[in-house]
Amino acid sequence: MASVYIPVQNSEEEVRVSLEQLPRDASDILDILKAEQAPLDLWLVIAVLKTVSVLQFFDSRFREYFKQGKIEQFRQILEEGSSPEIDEYYADVKYERIAILNALGAYYSYLGKVETKQREKDDHFILATQYYNKASRIDMHEPSTWIGKGQLLLAKGDLDQASAAFKIVLDDNRDDNRDNVPALLGQACVLFNRGRYSDSLELYKRALQVHPNCPASVRLGIGLCRYKMGQFEKARQAFKRALQIQKMLRLLWPLESWICKQMKAADETWKGMEKMQKAFEIYPYCAMALNYLANHFFFTGQHFLVEQLTETALAVSSLGLMKSHSYYNLARSYHSKGDYEKAGMYYMASVKECNKPHDFVLPYFGLGQVQLKWGDFRSSLSNFEKVLEVYPENCETLKVIGHIYVQLSQTEKALEVLRKATKIDPRDAQAFLELGELLIQSDAGAALDAFRTARGLLKKNGGEVPIELLNNIGVLHFERGEFELAEQTFREALGDGVWLSFLDGKVHSPPVDSDASSRQYNDLQFFRRLEEEGTPVDLPWDKVTTLFNHARLLEQLHDNEKASILYKLILFKYPDYIDAYLRLAAIAKARNNTQLSIELIGDALKVNDRCPNALSMLGTLELKSDDWLKAKDTFRAAREATDGKDSYATLALGNWNYYAALRSEKRGPKLEATHLEKAKELYTKVLVQHPSNFYAANGAAVVLAEKGQFDVSKDIFTQVQEAASGNIFVQMPDVWINVAHVYFAQGHFALAYQNCLRKFYYNTDTQVLLYLARTHYEAEQWQDCKKTLLRAIHLAPSNYTLRFDAGVAMQKFSMFTLQKTKKTADEFCICSVTEENTIDFECRAFDALYVPVRSTVAELKNAVRVFSQLSTASSLHYHGFDEKKIETHVGYCKHLLDAAKVHHEAAEREEQQNRQRLELARQVNLAEEARRKAEEQRKLQLEKRKQEDLLKQVRQQEENFKRVKEQWRSTEPASKRKERSQMEDEDGRGEKRRRKGGKRRKRDKKSRYEMGETEGDMMDGEMEDDDAYMNNEDDGNRINDQEDDRADNNAQVLAAAGLEDSDAEDDAGAPSSNINRRRRAWSESDDDEPSVRQLEASPTRENSAEFPGSDGEA
Amino acid sequence: MKLAGLKSKENAHEESIWAATWVPATESRPALLLTGSLDETVRLWRSDELELQVTNTGHCLGVVSVAAHPSGVIAASASLDSFVRVFDVDTNATISTLEAPPSEVWKMQFDPKGTILAVAGGGSLSIKLWDTATWKLVATLSVPRPEGSNKPADRSGSSKFVLSVAWSPDGKRLACGSMDGTISIFDVARAKFLHHLEGHFMPVRSLAYSPVDPRVLFTASDDTHIHIYDAEGKSMIGAMSGHASWVLSLDVSPDGAAVASGSSDRTVRLWDLNMRAAVQTMSNHTDQVWAVAFRPPGGTGVRAGRLASVSDDKSISLYDYS
Repeated sequence: MASVYIPVQNSEEEVRVSLEQLPRDASDILDILKAEQAPLDLWLVIAVLKTVSVLQFFDSRFREYFKQGKIEQFRQILEEGSSPEIDEYYADVKYERIAILNALGAYYSYLGKVETKQREKDDHFILATQYYNKASRIDMHEPSTWIGKGQLLLAKGDLDQASAAFKIVLDDNRDDNRDNVPALLGQACVLFNRGRYSDSLELYKRALQVHPNCPASVRLGIGLCRYKMGQFEKARQAFKRALQIQKMLRLLWPLESWICKQMKAADETWKGMEKMQKAFEIYPYCAMALNYLANHFFFTGQHFLVEQLTETALAVSSLGLMKSHSYYNLARSYHSKGDYEKAGMYYMASVKECNKPHDFVLPYFGLGQVQLKWGDFRSSLSNFEKVLEVYPENCETLKVIGHIYVQLSQTEKALEVLRKATKIDPRDAQAFLELGELLIQSDAGAALDAFRTARGLLKKNGGEVPIELLNNIGVLHFERGEFELAEQTFREALGDGVWLSFLDGKVHSPPVDSDASSRQYNDLQFFRRLEEEGTPVDLPWDKVTTLFNHARLLEQLHDNEKASILYKLILFKYPDYIDAYLRLAAIAKARNNTQLSIELIGDALKVNDRCPNALSMLGTLELKSDDWLKAKDTFRAAREATDGKDSYATLALGNWNYYAALRSEKRGPKLEATHLEKAKELYTKVLVQHPSNFYAANGAAVVLAEKGQFDVSKDIFTQVQEAASGNIFVQMPDVWINVAHVYFAQGHFALAYQNCLRKFYYNTDTQVLLYLARTHYEAEQWQDCKKTLLRAIHLAPSNYTLRFDAGVAMQKFSMFTLQKTKKTADEFCICSVTEENTIDFECRAFDALYVPVRSTVAELKNAVRVFSQLSTASSLHYHGFDEKKIETHVGYCKHLLDAAKVHHEAAEREEQQNRQRLELARQVNLAEEARRKAEEQRKLQLEKRKQEDLLKQVRQQEENFKRVKEQWRSTEPASKRKERSQMEDEDGRGEKRRRKGGKRRKRDKKSRYEMGETEGDMMDGEMEDDDAYMNNEDDGNRINDQEDDRADNNAQVLAAAGLEDSDAEDDAGAPSSNINRRRRAWSESDDDEPSVRQLEASPTRENSAEFPGSDGEA
Repeated sequence: MKLAGLKSKENAHEESIWAATWVPATESRPALLLTGSLDETVRLWRSDELELQVTNTGHCLGVVSVAAHPSGVIAASASLDSFVRVFDVDTNATISTLEAPPSEVWKMQFDPKGTILAVAGGGSLSIKLWDTATWKLVATLSVPRPEGSNKPADRSGSSKFVLSVAWSPDGKRLACGSMDGTISIFDVARAKFLHHLEGHFMPVRSLAYSPVDPRVLFTASDDTHIHIYDAEGKSMIGAMSGHASWVLSLDVSPDGAAVASGSSDRTVRLWDLNMRAAVQTMSNHTDQVWAVAFRPPGGTGVRAGRLASVSDDKSISLYDYS
């Protein structure tokens, strides 16, 4: 029986205090000690036997007191022993006092270590520090004090200082301190915590060498180092040895089983679990074992057990890290059950317990996940970044961080992180997927690559490729114009289903009754019938998008039929899918089926009456069917539906204003200006919102051009043109045309029109052909002009305006050649005089003279025919021509024919003379010429016959006209204009045309890009022209005027406005009565100009502004 | 069912070629290809070499349509000046010049027996029927205006302007396509309008009856679609899409199993009628394809199927159809 003897002062007797029977009240012993003035070491013996180390003290003595529940007493004794009185009394007893102080320091360190409340923890640590400092003051060099300080610092987590403290001990060369075991152990612990496991191991080993019988904890340390270094087998040996030394079952069983787990063998795991359970049985309150058990049950899915176990663990454990594990387990359990609130709470608790991510990083990850779920991206990000600090190469974490950056729209960072993730693990499909999604916005090509890699990886792993991925790949192919690949991908994505039979053309859309009144009913009927026939008509929800995209692709491939069926299928199953309605409506619109299109839009609006896309489209359709006011309202509604954010609606309103400016029937310059200003304002608004909107830029440039600022507008057009090329979804032929217009207006007759014709309209746009014809006309290339117009007629047979223009071109041509012929005839005379001898030349010259006349006559006949046809047609249809004007043309052509006749006769006369001259020449010439001469003659005769034939035809023709004319005359007094003298006509013309050339151009320019001025000032130059010429000139303008005139019928409405103009002109000039009449005809043709205005080239613009919105399904 | 390019004749005309048809073989010669162009000429070509046989002049303005009599002896050509010239194929002698002002002339076709020439009358909203013996106008079949659309404000482009005609193989029915996309069916014997077929809303420039089924009518429209109608039952059997631009012309193969079409998208497509899908796309032309024509069977020892196409690019292409 251990007991302590306290010597009685001044005697040999000793008071014996049995250790087992320590007085209940420590003060009793204190009293004894005080009374007897016991040597100080006895003070300590009561509490502490001389110990090698503070650790030892805990293990033996303190525990004894602890076990006996007498901590308070112990503390009391020690504190008494370190009180100032004792210091005084035992001032010369250094070592023992230090020991007492160190014991107290160690005691408070321990308290601080196990205390969970931060404040009290700090208090304890402060007390401990005080005691150690006191001890240090007694002796600076006492190693045990340093060791104690090191332990304290270690407990506080201050690794550097702790290390320094241990180092002081170890570096002290006095005794054998170099091998001071507690210092070695402390230093090893520091190194272990710093992750320098091999160094730590070295120190443990040294400690073991110095002190082979050291406590099991040394072996435990060795085992842990080995374990951390991945040497599981050796670690296990170390643990086993530790077990042999000391039955630390509750600590070691779990560790061993954990190792087994790490060794990744299934049976080992079970063995490990068995051990764990054994440990649990041996010591049911070991927190670690509880945690590991809980961990195990988490993986086996027994969440109830997990919670119970961890709660017990929490209750029994006071160690921060252990608690942290427990909280983590709990949190994980809730997390997997989807109870994010509780999970988040426990993760938070867990994080709080462990403080340092390096100790236990998992709860940070979990917390990050939960916060991500809550949408708290910043906190989440910071947690994941902590994880990343510990494991900088962790792919999962990188991916999550990338994802968060995406959410925070820090694309650059996200890209960087994800790229790193894919680089670290090039087989992580998920990372590629995320990367691809991120790249879609910026770099479609790279995105496609990433997606394809992901697909490849998924396929290689035998996993199912998600339909979304395939869909995205398909869309990217689609956007890059790789339609075949896109189709393959979509098909792969869609897999098997009813759509296949549509796609492969096995099932066709149903026969439609020609009336097609019950469209919807029909579609429903069709799919129902299919169902009845046993074909399941199913469409899983996750395939709708892909199916829609596939249909879009089919549309792009012009297979609208199949696309329509797919859209209808979507609608059959998902009647709320607005986009499908819109696409169907767009298809119907493209086919000019406005009625159906409006119906479909109506259906779409039934689903959502504020859908801006549907409203915009409805507006366009209403505009198409000439319902101006309605269209404006609809566009307004569309704009409101998106709070003005949808640029299409704003743009459409801008266009609307632009048209309105040009359309206004009584061309009020003020109204026009207001509309233009409004249009410009709207375009600018869109441009402010979206600085790269092609259409708005185009519109703004058009307005600028309207205002005559050609250079600026040209710049803009060119920029838009450049930007628009190279995108398959955006095609802007309008901008090409507009550029051409500007060039034209500036007098450069470029071939820009021809280019846009080829590039965009498959040569099917008569409007552009007209522009082209106009350029030819301006360049006086009559034949080209005529051919171009004929092509246009062929394309648009019912457009009579084109015929009129063709007639004008032919008339113009004839006039031109007749004039030239006259000149040539003169030249010919000279030629023939001067170069009598060269018969060949003469023949050629004759041909040159003759052929044009012949073609002129033919052309004139055509012109007359065209005009007279128009005249008759006008009785059948209304097509906007003034009969009088046509009549004028016929008259003029006829008159030209007369002229041609004169030419003919002249030519004939010439021929006669020629022949005589030739005859002479031949007589002079030798007989060897005779053969050739005969040939010539034959030729000449042949020609003469033809000529006569022609003349005869001409005469017949004239009679025809007269007949036709008689018909018209019945309503109209006879015109006098045909009595124009031909000579007069010809004299002035050449010169005047030249004089007027520039002017006319200028005026045309105006008619195209009206600048809002009155035209009066431009007329002056033309006033003094003689009538015939005026008419003619006027016709020249007419062709320009009619160019854009698709709705020629407006001329009638506009007549009133036109009369004002003519009045103004009357004031300006002083026309004779004869001229007056003609002038009216002329000014009326000027009146047609407004109709040009309203249908400038720009109307094409709005049509091409397709719906960008419905494309981007991806 | 496929097409194989045989021969392509570049610059066959000086200008865009707008019309083509096969003149059936006679006892003395095989079938010839007849083409008409914007250059105002009509040319005859010997197959398979596409050797120019003869050039007919005399038209003013572009030649928009050519038609051949089933006997192969006579043919007709029409131009934008609204004259129809009927001529002897072998001698090129003018037999008659037809004119019915103010009616224009667009597509025309001889009836299967060869007694009547039907001419699409454009703005006159009618088909003119000419007796091929007397060359007199025997009937005018007018397309009734839909009620309520008589108003003059009707835009010039959307009227019932008649563009194309087609005879049913039994010669009893006549179909015409118009600018606004409606198709009108006439009973020829009674000179009576029967009904409209609806579905197109853009110009129908070409239509053709199936040679094997007198009820089935194929139509080509600017809306890029080819429709298949039951012309008697007034219903649309189906639609085929695939062309990127206007479908300008179509022809049905003599076996009735395929349709060929030419389009503004510069391609010629061959459609399988069972699959109702394009089985082949020929893109040898560089401009819009204005006419396609299958060679009628018959003639001395010629069994092989031939398809000809002509285009704005001034070329003629000949394909083997098998």
